[in-house]
Amino acid sequence: MEKKEVSFNNFEQCIKCTVCTAYCPVVPVNPRFPGPKQAGPDEERLRLKNKMFFDENLKYCLNCKRCEVSCPSGVNIADLIQSARRRYSAATPTLRDTMLANTDVMGRLARPFAPIVNSMVATKPVKAVMDVVLDIDKNRTFPNYKAHGFVGWFNREARSKQAAYSKKVAFFHGCSTEFQHPEVGKAFVEVMNAVGYGVELMNEECCGVAMIANGLWNQASRHAKHNVAVFEKMVGEGLPIVATASTCTFTMRDEYPHVLDIDNSKVRDSITLVEKFLFDLIDAGKVTLVFKKDYAARIAYHIPCHMEKLGWSIFTKRLMQMIPGVSFTVLDSGCCGIAGTYGFKKENYEYSQEIGRPVFEQIRALAPDFVCSECDTCKWQIEMSTGYKVLNPIVILAEALDLPATTAANRR
Amino acid sequence: MKFDAIIIGGGLSSLVCGIRLQEAGKQCLIVSAGQNALHFSTGTFGLLGRLPDGTAVEEPLLDIPKLPENHPYSKIGIERIKEYAVGVIPFFGKYGIKLCGFNGANGWRFTPMGTFKPAWLALEEIPFFKSPDEVIGHKALIVNYAGFMDFNSVFIAEGLEKKGLSCRIESVKLKVVENLRANPTEMRSINIARVMEQEECWKEFGRTVHSLLKDEDVVVVPEVFGLNNPLVCDWVREMIKANVLFVGTMPPSVAGIRTQKLLKKAFENIGGTFLMGDEALGSSISDGAVTSIKTRNLDGTLLEADDFVLASGHLFAHGLVASTGKIEEPVFGLDVDFVPDRNGWYDKNFFEKQNYLGFGVVTDSRFRAFRNGSLVDNLYVIGSEVGGCNSLNEGSGAGVAIMTALRVADEIIGG
Amino acid sequence: MKQEFDVIILGGGITGAGTARDCSLRGLKVLLIERNDIATGATGRNHGLLHSGARYAVTDKESASECIKENMILKKIARHCVDDTSGFFITLPEDDLGYQATFVKACTEAGINAEIIDPQEAKRLEPSVNPSIIGAVRIPDGSVDPFRLCASNVYDAKLHGAVVLTYTEVTEIIKNQDMLTGVKVQNRRTGECGEYHAPVVINACGIWGHHIAEMAGAKIGMYPAKGALLIFAHRVNGIVLNRCRKPANADILVPGDTVCVIGTTSTKVPYEECDHLQVMPDEVNLLLSEGAKLSPVLARTRILRAYAGVRPLVSADNDPTGRNISRGIVCLDHETRDGIKGFITITGGKLMTYRLMAEQATDMACKKLGLDVPCTTATTPLPGSEEGGIEKIFKNIWTMPTTAQKATVGRAGANVSSIPLSDEYEGSVVCECEEVPVSEIDSAIRNMDVHNLVDLRRRTRMGMGTCQGELCGCRAACILAKDHGDVVAVRNDLKQFMNERWKGMYPVAWGETLRECAYTQWVYAEVLGLNES
Repeated sequence: MEKKEVSFNNFEQCIKCTVCTAYCPVVPVNPRFPGPKQAGPDEERLRLKNKMFFDENLKYCLNCKRCEVSCPSGVNIADLIQSARRRYSAATPTLRDTMLANTDVMGRLARPFAPIVNSMVATKPVKAVMDVVLDIDKNRTFPNYKAHGFVGWFNREARSKQAAYSKKVAFFHGCSTEFQHPEVGKAFVEVMNAVGYGVELMNEECCGVAMIANGLWNQASRHAKHNVAVFEKMVGEGLPIVATASTCTFTMRDEYPHVLDIDNSKVRDSITLVEKFLFDLIDAGKVTLVFKKDYAARIAYHIPCHMEKLGWSIFTKRLMQMIPGVSFTVLDSGCCGIAGTYGFKKENYEYSQEIGRPVFEQIRALAPDFVCSECDTCKWQIEMSTGYKVLNPIVILAEALDLPATTAANRR
Repeated sequence: MKFDAIIIGGGLSSLVCGIRLQEAGKQCLIVSAGQNALHFSTGTFGLLGRLPDGTAVEEPLLDIPKLPENHPYSKIGIERIKEYAVGVIPFFGKYGIKLCGFNGANGWRFTPMGTFKPAWLALEEIPFFKSPDEVIGHKALIVNYAGFMDFNSVFIAEGLEKKGLSCRIESVKLKVVENLRANPTEMRSINIARVMEQEECWKEFGRTVHSLLKDEDVVVVPEVFGLNNPLVCDWVREMIKANVLFVGTMPPSVAGIRTQKLLKKAFENIGGTFLMGDEALGSSISDGAVTSIKTRNLDGTLLEADDFVLASGHLFAHGLVASTGKIEEPVFGLDVDFVPDRNGWYDKNFFEKQNYLGFGVVTDSRFRAFRNGSLVDNLYVIGSEVGGCNSLNEGSGAGVAIMTALRVADEIIGG
Repeated sequence: MKQEFDVIILGGGITGAGTARDCSLRGLKVLLIERNDIATGATGRNHGLLHSGARYAVTDKESASECIKENMILKKIARHCVDDTSGFFITLPEDDLGYQATFVKACTEAGINAEIIDPQEAKRLEPSVNPSIIGAVRIPDGSVDPFRLCASNVYDAKLHGAVVLTYTEVTEIIKNQDMLTGVKVQNRRTGECGEYHAPVVINACGIWGHHIAEMAGAKIGMYPAKGALLIFAHRVNGIVLNRCRKPANADILVPGDTVCVIGTTSTKVPYEECDHLQVMPDEVNLLLSEGAKLSPVLARTRILRAYAGVRPLVSADNDPTGRNISRGIVCLDHETRDGIKGFITITGGKLMTYRLMAEQATDMACKKLGLDVPCTTATTPLPGSEEGGIEKIFKNIWTMPTTAQKATVGRAGANVSSIPLSDEYEGSVVCECEEVPVSEIDSAIRNMDVHNLVDLRRRTRMGMGTCQGELCGCRAACILAKDHGDVVAVRNDLKQFMNERWKGMYPVAWGETLRECAYTQWVYAEVLGLNES
């Protein structure tokens, strides 16, 4: 007999208004999902009465948090759902789920064979095998694994230069920067250095978001504990933890305490995204950006769900709007449907594409030069579904900045 | 981060005020803790339905001068109210929200319980009549989705029969709607409205209803169309080929949600910044003026502005918070007008006037707030949070929201 | 209209219902008459505690041993009404830990299994318990749904031929000299009058039995002791929490169905107030402050509503609090006591011992009728409880039950087989908080003497959840209107239903409760327009 006090979560503030249902991306496409109100506050009361009321269909929740953003009562609906999965789900993760969840392990395994793996997972026979054996949808395009990771580049090219900076940040690069998109990490180091900040890497582990999504609770908790310990050391030395991926940032700030019950109170407020970090410095007059004179781009901004939940898209918008020559359009907010590993699963593929349809349609109608988004899984989904290139704002910034001039302007 | 004005709350009053300010070139930020009461709208706007003593109002503009001095309308003054009132339909119309009225006189909305309720203006698809006695037709076909519990067919039929219509109730089974029931959970208007956005779905509904039609001249269907595009209502009408009444369901309100979306989009399109799902937590006040606020999401980032507008709603929206013997305004700790004895908060009859709904923030004649008895110079209060009226009892909720929003916007623009 | 029965039972509370069932099972022709709906008096206005008897072990050994025996019987015969949660008697720093030994000894003597457990272990098993406890004893308390228990007894009585008349008031007791022969009644809904005859009349009217006895010419010294309680919006605790000390105010917190209940107070009230009980602010304050001592989280938990009931105690001495009056069963043969033949009063006792009370009253009735039939209610399961636990029941029917299907099984037990739940319409949810589907509502309207929405709530839990009928009231009204045909009457009934919900809410309406009220009042007044006309 084990029970956790759940009153910490304010689910009783729910007044059954169903505003969450109006904004849940899953509700209109997958009827088996009971909807956020029922899956969250309604069933929480029943689950407290008897755990047999746990419904395995809660696995269809994307954990996009749009219910929480829209809730007029301040109920942490998605937290309730994820926490219920953790407490009651009898389902054990499949081999497929475990593979998808271990973004870091998969990356490390794939790296030595990157060219082979990339071309293999792109071939029809392999896709067909993955579809049948692993239930990974055959229509899904896999992101390319890079043979040379970000950390390797950093150690070779950048590490030695960082000692020159008196001000420093600790960079949480995350799995996709390491394994698929090292250019994001490189852009981060370039921009930070240009504004006068040195970059330190940490002995980080994957933030664990995919493990949470796939029910690998113990593993997620181990990662969370490890990261919090590493962050505490850094923050103790006066370094803020800065990241480029919105989902990792959100997970480490809020999912650790709310879903995994891991205390991160000593470091939570020091974990930030580069866009917020830079904006606050500029707003305080501590940093100046100098842009290239000839940079021009038509950019569509897709706000990732967890960016909505963080409430920080305002910083990205402000930064992007600082770039002369940029025409910047914010898309109507909506989930792209990928939700990390959700859209990779065969049983979700159709729902995933249907959820993302309004976003894809807007992008096609706008026909921008490229799309801006802080989330790499959104990037994969949008690139696969629309053919438009998606760039992390820090990559756009690095491209648009006159780096030597910026460096000079911030040298004091 | 610096703005000309920061508005706390994201509902009707906030958006009207924000749009007006942006139109005048003021840079505005709206901080909204989740969605708001427009989602439970009736699809109509009330200006004044009843005087505080219960007398029914036919022409709001004629009766507004009879209101007590402390009433928000009295503070605005009848001349300004008249001026604002003329501008309401064009204001909303500019942003794709079509309102209808009867030249300032109250009209009557046909309610989900088959009764008539007075209101000032109505969104285009809402059944709205000059008088409850207005002839609607002779025979009505009432069509519901099979098993949709929030459309009260029997009560609607009874209401129409009272008006002399003979009614036939039918239900339709559409595959897309049935599909929603694979895991039968809540089935609200919004669940159906979201699938009725798709062309093939509303077309199938229109076709099915048309095929059920015999000699009826009126068709009553649930108000679940036009969540994003109000034209869908017109298209469904055309398909059914009868006088179609889109009668309200239990909340949420599809027309209300659409109105909210359009206003928010309008505000953002003209340069406004909207923080959804964030919450104002604290403020700095010095020399009788607010200098900045902090929000839950933005951590240390200070939000500064010349003027601040509190539009965070009544008890429902946590704009006011009640404890055992107190009503408080949580963001700034403003002075609130309420009776301390809880026995004075309620009427024992649920359907009578409830005093607690009339509690609100104390303001001066320009809607500036007080804190510990002293005026806060650049902090205005608008919408349901303003003290001095019981808008549920008076049927003045939307009117007070719009009028105070316009008044305060003018104050800020002029100042 | 004249009709003949073997026995007429007055009062549709749990005692009357249990007696009607016992009499019917023993082959008697039974008429049950209730002035309101079933379970409207003290039956529906208590903790819903399935006492182990431990509470009375020190002060009233007889009640204690009655309780534990009935506790064990109900766990078998009323499985679908009972939740076997177990209970703790906790000692707080301000309590005398020495009482624990006295308590455990008394429990053991009464046959109650009382086990002292380590406070740390108690906290692990029940995380909501006050962390400063210095002692804990585990006893076999549980919770019982009194509405369901009462309705099941009535339903079984009807299955065995009993006639049940609700909303029927006794206007006159018919006597033939010293012989009571029947009753005259009036239907309170239709105004229709009637007359029924039987050689035995059993008064099972609880506190209102005082009045019935007076009509028959007898006098019972009843002691109306009001007890106020608060319902919280969810189960804060999984295990019943009691204070390990002499019984006092607000010292029991019971998890019942989806909620938990703290109570009670005890004050003597005049008879005239029994029909119009109100919970006073000082009672609310007392319940909250004492409740927070059992479980501190209560101070931060939303209160759903407040309510009060009247214990039908029979005066024994002049104790002003009513706490020291025996909770024992009082079964009066008015023939020997007052010289009135054919009249029995069964009162005192408590929800827990209703079956034993029914057995005693039925034994007496049988004796008067010259019958010798043994009582079988201690071993015959109530309808719904024949087939074991709820998980077993739903696994027999569905492979992947929906939430509403699980909830219905939880309420109906094995009776679920008569409620069609397979098609999408039947499974549509009326009450979202308590997960009550259309077919359960339909089935209650058809089979369980439902005349209005409040009756429907007692049968199904519809409207008992956090939103207190905000949506389901309207939805159920539509179903009722289709069934009853009188739409105008149902619209008025909906208003009454909302007022009945409001009555329990306004005494505790602040915080989130008031916020819910504000929303509901907006929906009913503005959206639905029900404040007009």
